[in-house]
Amino acid sequence: MKMEKAIVAKNITKKYKLYHGTKERLLDLVTPKSYGEDFYALADVSFEAEKGDVVGFIGINGSGKSTLSNIVAGIVPETSGTIEINGQASLIAVASGLKGDLTGRDNIELKCLMLGFSKDEIKKLEPQIIEFSELDNFIDQPVKSYSSGMKSRLGFAISVNVDPDILIIDEALSVGDKAFAEKSLDKMKEFKKMGKTMIFVSHSIGQMKQFCEKILWLEYGMVKDFGTVEEVMPKYERFLKEYKKMSKEEREAYKHDALQEQQKVLMA
Amino acid sequence: MKSAITVIKEQIKHFYLIRRLSTYEIKSKNKNNYLGILWEILNPLIQILIYWFVFSAIRERAPIRMDGIEIPFFSWLLAAFFLWIFFYQATIQGSKSIYSKLRMLSKMNFPMSVIPSYTIFSLFYVHLFMLLISIIIFQFSGFYVNIHYLQLIYFIFAALCLIFSLSLITSTLSTIIRDVHMLLNSTLRMLLYLSGVLWPITILSDQFPKIMQLLKLNPLLYLIEGYRAAFFGTGWYFIEHWHYTLYFWGVVIVLFLFGSMLHVKFRRHFIDYL
Repeated sequence: MKMEKAIVAKNITKKYKLYHGTKERLLDLVTPKSYGEDFYALADVSFEAEKGDVVGFIGINGSGKSTLSNIVAGIVPETSGTIEINGQASLIAVASGLKGDLTGRDNIELKCLMLGFSKDEIKKLEPQIIEFSELDNFIDQPVKSYSSGMKSRLGFAISVNVDPDILIIDEALSVGDKAFAEKSLDKMKEFKKMGKTMIFVSHSIGQMKQFCEKILWLEYGMVKDFGTVEEVMPKYERFLKEYKKMSKEEREAYKHDALQEQQKVLMA
Repeated sequence: MKSAITVIKEQIKHFYLIRRLSTYEIKSKNKNNYLGILWEILNPLIQILIYWFVFSAIRERAPIRMDGIEIPFFSWLLAAFFLWIFFYQATIQGSKSIYSKLRMLSKMNFPMSVIPSYTIFSLFYVHLFMLLISIIIFQFSGFYVNIHYLQLIYFIFAALCLIFSLSLITSTLSTIIRDVHMLLNSTLRMLLYLSGVLWPITILSDQFPKIMQLLKLNPLLYLIEGYRAAFFGTGWYFIEHWHYTLYFWGVVIVLFLFGSMLHVKFRRHFIDYL
C-alpha cells in the first residue's frame, strides 16, 4: 500500500521584522527601502508527514515550534517556501478564540460556524462537545467567568470533536486536572488508532516518548534533526543536559554560531 | 476584477454564516447591559432629540421646503437621521472589524471578506427597526405611507453596497495602519455636518453654488435625499435624478473594485499586522 502524504513542507521560511519604535515601522511601510531588523523565526524548514503519523516538534524556547505549527494550521502565512496539507487541520492552543461575553454554548456554535459546519451538523455536535468538556451547569454561563482550566477544556472539547484530519496540539495538555488530561490522552490515542495525523508541540519529553513516532527537532528556526523517536530523542536529551550545564556566555556563543549557520542556510 | 468576483462569491456562499454571526455580534455587544438590546434603539433616539433641540433653535423652528411641500424640521430630520446613524456606526465598526476580530477568527481558514459584512449586518437589523419606528411616527405627523415608499428598498440596498465597499477599504487599511481608523473617526464626525443630515444644503444654492456642488459629490447625500423623497412622497428620486444615480453607482463600483483588490491582496497577511 502506498502511503499518502498528509503534510509536505518545503523550504519554509518565516521572516518577522523587528522595529525600534514606530518611526521605523512607518518608514518601512511607506518607503521602498527596508527598515528594521530581519528576524527569521524559521529558516528553510522542510519535513514530510504521512497520513497517520504522530509527529512531535521539540526544541528549546524560541526555536520556532509554535510558528511552524501555526503555519501548518494555516493561521500564519509563510514568507517563502510551500506547504501542502491534505485535509483540514485544527489547532488546539490554550483558550484559543473564545468570546468572553458569550456563553459556552454560544461559543460552541460560533466556533463550529466558523469552521464551516452547517446548522444540522452543529446541532449534532453540540451535545458531544458539552459532554466532553464536563462543564455541566457552566455551559450557559459567559465564558469570561470560566477558570483557565475550564476555558481550555472547552477549547479542547471543540477542537477534538469537530473531527479534523490533522490535529495540532500546542502545549494544550498541560492545563486542566489529571483526570481531564488522561481523558484527552485517551481521545488522542483513539485518534491515533483511527489513523489521524497529529502534531504535538510540547516540552514534556515523557509525553512525547509515549505518543510520538517521529520527532522534528528545531533549533533557531532550522531543522536540527528529523527522524524516529528512538533516533532523535536520545540526542535531544543529551543536548539538553549539555545545554543546561552551559554558562550564560557559552549559551550566547552557541546562539551566535547557530544564527550564523542560519544566515548561511538562507543565503544558499 | 478577479478579486471582486472572489469577494462577491464569498458573500453569497456564506450568507447563512453572515446572518448567524451578526446575531451573535448583537448578542455579545449587549450582554452586559440590563436593558440589553434596547440601548441600540435608545441611543439614536436620544441623539436625534439633542440635534432636533439645537438645530430647530438655531433655525428658529422654520419648516423646510422640499419640492414645494413644507415639512416640519423634526420630520425632515427624522427621515434621514437614522440612515446617518447606520452609516456612521457601520463604517466605524466595519473599519475596525478585521483587526479586532482576527484573533478569534484566524484560528481557521475563514473567508475573511465576511468579517466586515457581518459587522455591518448586525447594525442593519437595528436600522430596519429604526426605520419602522420612523414610519410609525410619520403616520402621526401627517406623512402617510405612499407608493414612493417602494424606492426605500432600492435606497437601503444602495446604502448597504456603499457601506460594504467602503468597509472593504477601511478595514484593510486600518489593520495595516491603525491611524486610519482614527482618521476615519474624525472625518465622519465632520461629515455629519456636511452631508445634509442636519441642515438642507440647498440653502447654499444662492450664495455658494460651488460649495453646494462640492458637497453633492458625497455619495451619502444621494442616499439621504432618496430616503426623504420616499418618506415625503415627493417623487421617484433615483429616476428624476438619474445622472446622480449614475454618479453614485460609479463611485460605489470604483470603491468596491479598489476595496476587494486591497482586501484580497493583504488578507493572507492580516495576522502579521496584529
